[in-house]
Formats: sequence, C-alpha cells, structure tokens
Amino acid sequence: MSALQAIGDALGRSFLSPALFAFLGLIPIVILLYLLKLRRTEMLISSTILWMKSLQDLTANAPFQRLRKNLLLLLQIIILLLVVTALARPFTRAEGLSGNNICLLIDRSASMRVREGDTTRLEMAKENALEMVDDMRGGDKMMIVTFAESSDVLCELTSDRYRLREAINSIRPSDTATKIRDAILVVRSLQAPRGEGETVVADLRVVVLSDGRISDLEEVGARILNVSFAQVGESTNNAGIAAFSVREPLEGRGDQQSFVLVHNEQTEPLETTLTLTFNDTVLMVEELNVPPGEDREVVVAHPELGSGLLRAELDHEDDLAVDNAAWLALRPTASVKVLLVAESDSTGAYFLKRAFALDSRVELSAIDPADYVETDEYDLTIFDSSAPGELPAGSLVFINSIPPLPGIKSEGAIEAPPVLAWDSEHAVLRFLNPANIGIREAQRLALPDGSRTLISTTGGPLMADVSRGGQQILVIGFDIAESNWPLRLSFPLFIQNLLAWVPRGSFATETSVATGRPLTIMPVQDVESATVTLPDGSAESVQLDPLRPVFFGATETAGPYVVTQGDTSEQYAVNLLDRNESAITPAEVLTIGRAEVKAERGRVKQNRELWRFLVIAALVVLMVEWSVYSRRAWI
Amino acid sequence: MDATSSRPLLDADFLRKLERLAIAAKRVQLGLAKGERRSKRKGSSVEFADYRDYVQGDDLRFVDWNIYARLDALYLKLFKEQEDLTVHLLIDASRSMGFGTPSKIEFACKLAAAIGYIALIGYDRVCVEGFSGTDVQRMRPCRGRASVAKMFSFIESIEEEGGTNLEHACRSYMLRNRAKGTAVIISDFFDQDGFEGCLRRLTMSGSDVYAIHVLAPEEIDPQLAGDLKLLDSETSGFVEISASRALLKRYKDNRDGFCEAIRRFSVARGIGHFVVSSDTSIEELTLDMLRKGGMLR
Repeated sequence: MSALQAIGDALGRSFLSPALFAFLGLIPIVILLYLLKLRRTEMLISSTILWMKSLQDLTANAPFQRLRKNLLLLLQIIILLLVVTALARPFTRAEGLSGNNICLLIDRSASMRVREGDTTRLEMAKENALEMVDDMRGGDKMMIVTFAESSDVLCELTSDRYRLREAINSIRPSDTATKIRDAILVVRSLQAPRGEGETVVADLRVVVLSDGRISDLEEVGARILNVSFAQVGESTNNAGIAAFSVREPLEGRGDQQSFVLVHNEQTEPLETTLTLTFNDTVLMVEELNVPPGEDREVVVAHPELGSGLLRAELDHEDDLAVDNAAWLALRPTASVKVLLVAESDSTGAYFLKRAFALDSRVELSAIDPADYVETDEYDLTIFDSSAPGELPAGSLVFINSIPPLPGIKSEGAIEAPPVLAWDSEHAVLRFLNPANIGIREAQRLALPDGSRTLISTTGGPLMADVSRGGQQILVIGFDIAESNWPLRLSFPLFIQNLLAWVPRGSFATETSVATGRPLTIMPVQDVESATVTLPDGSAESVQLDPLRPVFFGATETAGPYVVTQGDTSEQYAVNLLDRNESAITPAEVLTIGRAEVKAERGRVKQNRELWRFLVIAALVVLMVEWSVYSRRAWI
Repeated sequence: MDATSSRPLLDADFLRKLERLAIAAKRVQLGLAKGERRSKRKGSSVEFADYRDYVQGDDLRFVDWNIYARLDALYLKLFKEQEDLTVHLLIDASRSMGFGTPSKIEFACKLAAAIGYIALIGYDRVCVEGFSGTDVQRMRPCRGRASVAKMFSFIESIEEEGGTNLEHACRSYMLRNRAKGTAVIISDFFDQDGFEGCLRRLTMSGSDVYAIHVLAPEEIDPQLAGDLKLLDSETSGFVEISASRALLKRYKDNRDGFCEAIRRFSVARGIGHFVVSSDTSIEELTLDMLRKGGMLR
C-alpha cells in the first residue's frame, strides 16, 4: 500500500491527473486485439527449420529486431502510452509567470513577522512579489490582495507596474491571526464562470505568498483554480504564549486563577522565565522548561486583583516577538440591571428570580405588570405573561406574551408542542440542549420578516429573536411555568447566556480581544469623542455615538490599549494568543477547497503542460504505423 | 502412400536399363557369403592372392607342388575370395518426407528400389529400412534376383510417419547390421538436431556412404504470399511469417547454405553427396547422376 502511495506521490509531482494512468490497462487489450486481428493462414509444411533459420538471420541483425515481428503492435502500444501520458497531463515547472492575469495573495499575519536572518518573512514575500512584477510582460495584469485577520484588495487587476510596486511596498505586517477565506472568495468571484467556457477574468492565476500557517483553510469550501503556493520562511525558532486568561473565583470565594499556555515550536527544549506582572507589580516569576513541539500550562493562583492590566511575559529570544507577551485588562465586573415584570406570586417569576440570583452581577428588580411604568433604567427587562404598551429601551424578553411590534402576533395555541430544532449558533442557546423540554401549551407565533427562529416546533417557532434597530428582543412563545424547563439544566444556562447576550453583560466579561478584532467602546455620558492610545504610544481619536457602542478597529498591533473618554480611561488588552501563529514552521501543503497545493520555494514556477507534444508525437507514430501497415514489408 | 501402392514402383523398361548397372564399391570389404565381389578374405576364386606356410591339416589340393619341387618346402597357394557386398538402403520415412509433388517419400522409395534392384541383380546383399524418429520399418536382408519382388513390395509398403531423429535411427541400424558395404541414406535431412551425427555414424561403420538429399520443389522454391502461420509437420512448432521478397530471398540463401553445409561435411568425410529435387526423374538420376557421382558403374 505504501509502495503504491509512493508511486502515486511520485506521479503526482509530474502529472496533474495521474489517476488517468489507469488507462494503461488498455495495453493488454491492444495486444489481445492484435492477436485476434492478425489471423494468419495456417499452412502445413514439411519442416520449419529453414524458415526459422531465415527469421533468426533477420532478427540477428539488431538487438531489437525481435520486436519487429510485432512492429505494428509495438507502435500501437507506443501510441497508447503517449495518449495515456498526455491524458495524465504531465507538466514541467518553468520559472516565472507569463501570459496571465495574476492575483497575488500576500499573507501579512503575525507569523509573517518571523525573522529570517536579516529580514522577515513578509519582506521576503514582498521581494518575491516585486520580482513577479518585474517578470510581467506586456499585457500581463496583476492584482494584490493581502490577508491576515481580514483581507484587503490593495490593487485591482492592472498592468501598471508602478502602482503594483507601490501597493506591495505599502504592505505592513500585523499581529493578527491568518484567515484566507475572504481573499479566496475574492479570487473565486473573479474565476466564476461567465458565459460559455469563460470566466470573469480569463486565466486568472493565483499565487499565495505565505508561510502556510493559515487557520481557516478548512472553512474554505470553494475550489480555486491555478493556484501556486510560494512558501516563504524556514525558521522554527519560536516559543510563545498561546493562551492567557483569568478565571474568576467560584461564587465569589477563593483565589483568582491566571492560566497561561506556553507553546514551544523550537526543535530544542525551551528554557525561559515566565513573569506575571499586574500594574507593574510582579506577581510571579517561574522557570519554565518546555520540550520541543509541546505545550506547557501554567496556572497561578492569586488573590483577587481588582482592575488593572495583567501582563504575562516570556523572557527569551526567538524569531517571533509578538507572542512573547500577553495582556489582560481586568476591570471590576459591571452589574447588569434586570427588571422582571411579572405577577409577584406566579410560578414563572419564582423560577426566574431563582435563576437570576445565581449570578452575582445581576441587580434584579421585580414589579407587577399593573405597576409597570416605562423606564430606560434597565439593561434587561423581562415581561412574563405581560406586555407594555410601548417598548422600553434596553434588551427585552417577552415570555408568553406578544411585544407591541408590527408583524408579530399569536395565531392560536399548540397543544404539547415538541422541540424539533434549535439554533445552537445563537448566543442565547450556546452550550445548551433544549430537546428535553416538555411544554403543555404554546402560542402559535407569527413572526415579522427578518426575525430569527431559535427553537421551533411543528406549528412554528417556540422562541425567536426579533431584534430590531440595535435593540435586542427575544420572544418565548410559552409560559415557562406551564413547562418543565425551569427544572432542566438548560434553564440556568439559558439565563447565563441571556446575561452575556445583553450588551452590558458581554462588555463586563471582555478582558482580551484578538488582534484585528474591534474594541467595543461604551460611550460615557456627555462625551463626544474618545482617544485611543495604541501600544506604540500613538493616539487616535474616535467619534462617539451616545446611543450605542462604538467599535474601534485599528487593533492590528498586540498590546495594551487605553481608551480615554473625558476624565475616565479604560484599559483594553489586544493579544495574538493564537497557537497556529505561534507554531511558525512553514506548511508544505495548502489544502484549498480539497485541492492540495504543494509549497514552492524561490521564484514561483508555472506548470507548463506537455500534453500537446505527446499528442503530436502520438500522431506521428500513428502515421508511421499507417505507413508500416500499408507497406506490410515487415516480418 | 496411396500413390505408390496403386502403381508399379518402377516400370519394366527402366528395370531392364538398370540391369546394366552395378554398385561401385570403392573399398574391398569383407562379405557375408559367396558373391561376385572381391573380398579381403582369401578363398577359392581363380585369382591368385598369396602364399603361406603349410600347416598340418591344410587341404593338399592347394599345395604348390612346383615350389615344393624347387625348394623342398610345402607352401600353400591362396586365392582371392569373391564375396557379396552388403548394400544398406536407409529411407527417411518421417512425416516431412510426405511433402512435395511428387512426394519426397515416393521419390525416395523409387530411388531405393532402383538401387536395391541393381544390387540384387549383382548378387549383392540388400538391407532396406524405412525409419522415422519413433519407428523403424525393416525387411530381412535379402539376396538374389528372387528377392526383387519381396523387396519391391516392402519398399512400397513404407509409409511416412513420426518425426525425424536421424542419428538415433542410424545408430540403431548400425547396431543391427554390422556388415560393411555401401550405405545409402535418402533423406531430406530436416532434423532439429542436425544431420552431422547421422552421417558421422554411417562413416564410422566403415561402409562407403552416400547421402542423397531429397528436397521437394516447394521447398526449393516456395510460392508463398500473405501472412502465414507455417506449421511444422513433425513438431508442434510453427513460424509466423509475412511473405515478402526479402524473406523469400533469405529463405533461399538459407536453403543453399543448408545444402552446402551437408555437402561440405560429406566431402570432408568421403561421403558421396547428391542433392536432388523430388521431381527429378529416377532414370536420369540413376543412369546419369549417380554414375557420374561414382556410386554406380
């Protein structure tokens, strides 16, 4: 099996469709046909001695004369070999690219910052790209797309080398993870078929300039054509922090725990020192010894730290610096104001109060529906079997009631609706399984356009997200008191998810943002703009919207960010914390949409297919065969 | 062969012509019985041969009394003996001999009959045998005019069958028939193992050996065309050919080379060698070629 595989691999290096070599199985058929075809007249003679001698004399002339006996057969087999080899699409690698539209996908993720001698991987890739621009001939066009956490088209398809060089030179490294999906979609749209046998851009060749450390390759379903993978980098000399988090003490008791995961990509054991600092106070220094290629978890217990910046740092030299330090911005847990509008003695209210009481962040108030007055004070308002005349601000949950919204209404009742499907990707249903909920009766909900069904039953939705205009609204179509849900494990999980879903709730738990992801800035009242101080000390101004959070996206550099709004300033931590980026060993194969692309070093080479020559050769041999057949002068 | 049995082997006119001929013996050999040939043996002919001392018991009739009178010693006069010659006729009766028009076996039988007739007329002893690789058809050795009919009917009965193994046939023949004389082998010499062994065996016996190489006209000049699968009549072998001018020329060169090889081998060992086509007339052959070749006189 392994021998077969080895042969397959070897063929794969020279042929695009080595599987078609299966057609070689036709050779015995040709031989059979030959044997069947040439029915010689049988003739009895006294002795074949003299004839045999004659043939021997003829065949003695040259070593291959024996084959002449079957020259036609031999020629046919040669033709078959040539055709099958042509079908298998052999190719040679020719340097440089020519006669094409070329799309360069340049990786500028964190792993491209790896030092390779005097330069970095990104510089090598840029140099390679500039060489390709130099290689362009008249009529060739090129486009430049960079990818990291997000993808950017730096230069549309153009033959303007000046613009292309400008675009390539403008590429700056980032500290982010590598995601190629968007870039692939761009290419895919350009290679999409348009009309018969044509694509949007004819013959678009794609060159991926990367070290191959791409995290979302599995998510790329689309297959793109004519891809080469120009691999850059060789270094494996890196060790870094792959994960960093702080666990809150359970139910407010005990110590806080910091968790650090150190990955060693080097080929030799890593000896380093892990230093944990909180607001310039050293919490812990630990000697670490990590075997090559392995991970080491470090868990540090310490008293609750309060708000501030927690920093973990590895003290060693390697080729990628960005993952040697990580930060967490700790801030006091913000409370979530929850208003429960329900009959005070109802069973549903009882279960809801119990579930909310589990979370220390919740400031729960309860009020009878009759006493409810519309207010904007609360982050989350829950209407249990009641509805207000007008929607209040904040996030809303309607249990067994219909919000005063256009398009949503109840169309009767469903008896004992079974839970058929649920949207486990929605934030409020994460980690829970509502399948075992038994419901006596539910309302048949009719939902407006744009709403998202979260749990569905035979007659329609049981739970739906009908959020609109930035306000999060959830509708639950049954009375939880008339179901066994409060007794199931999924109920407290749902409440936790609900608290995290509420903007205030998620804000409170966010202590670290991945590089390239936006920071969420909650505006302080009466402040119109905020200043974001980047890790390198530069500052950027952000215009604020008093009604909703503002996202700050220029977070490509890892490190502590400070957002200053008027007098208050808050710290944010932006980290790479990506094991895939820390493992800097360049990949040898890129699997894009199930197609494997082998790494190439140096200048990108192009597959030059040879099948045309083989077909021409087959034609020539065919003509020779015909002439031989016509002459029939051969024995 | 049906043809041979349906008509007389040799016609009477031809036989009469043959009566004038005799087998030419190159060497003086010991015979088996009284005959008309000089023998190495001393005997009772009229031709003086030698003297020898008298020993007790010798026939007094042969004492040379004139010598006794002159020398007072008893000498015996010795005379040359006249004995018969044994003519060995070996006919290749393998299947390959059945080919040709007329077939080689028919030709061989006629020739053997002619030579045998000459020998019988000349009071020589004749041994005829038809051999193939597996089988031997033989007749008891015979002498005298009275045996002609017997010999003819035997020769007529020879049928071709089996493969060829010349050497084996000759060896076993020589073991059975040790008498020296004149050995004539009539064959096409198509033997996978070669002809050399057979001829060597025959010369080793001390007889005068004549090899008559019969080829059918079809073998001498084959008229073939197209893609053919030539099957060997004796072995299971076959040759696939596409007849072309080049191949036919090659075949003829080979045929000549084959005959030439036998001729050279024969000349080197004092074997009389004749190559004849099976459509040669027996008359011409016996009355002319064999006489010129020194086999008949």
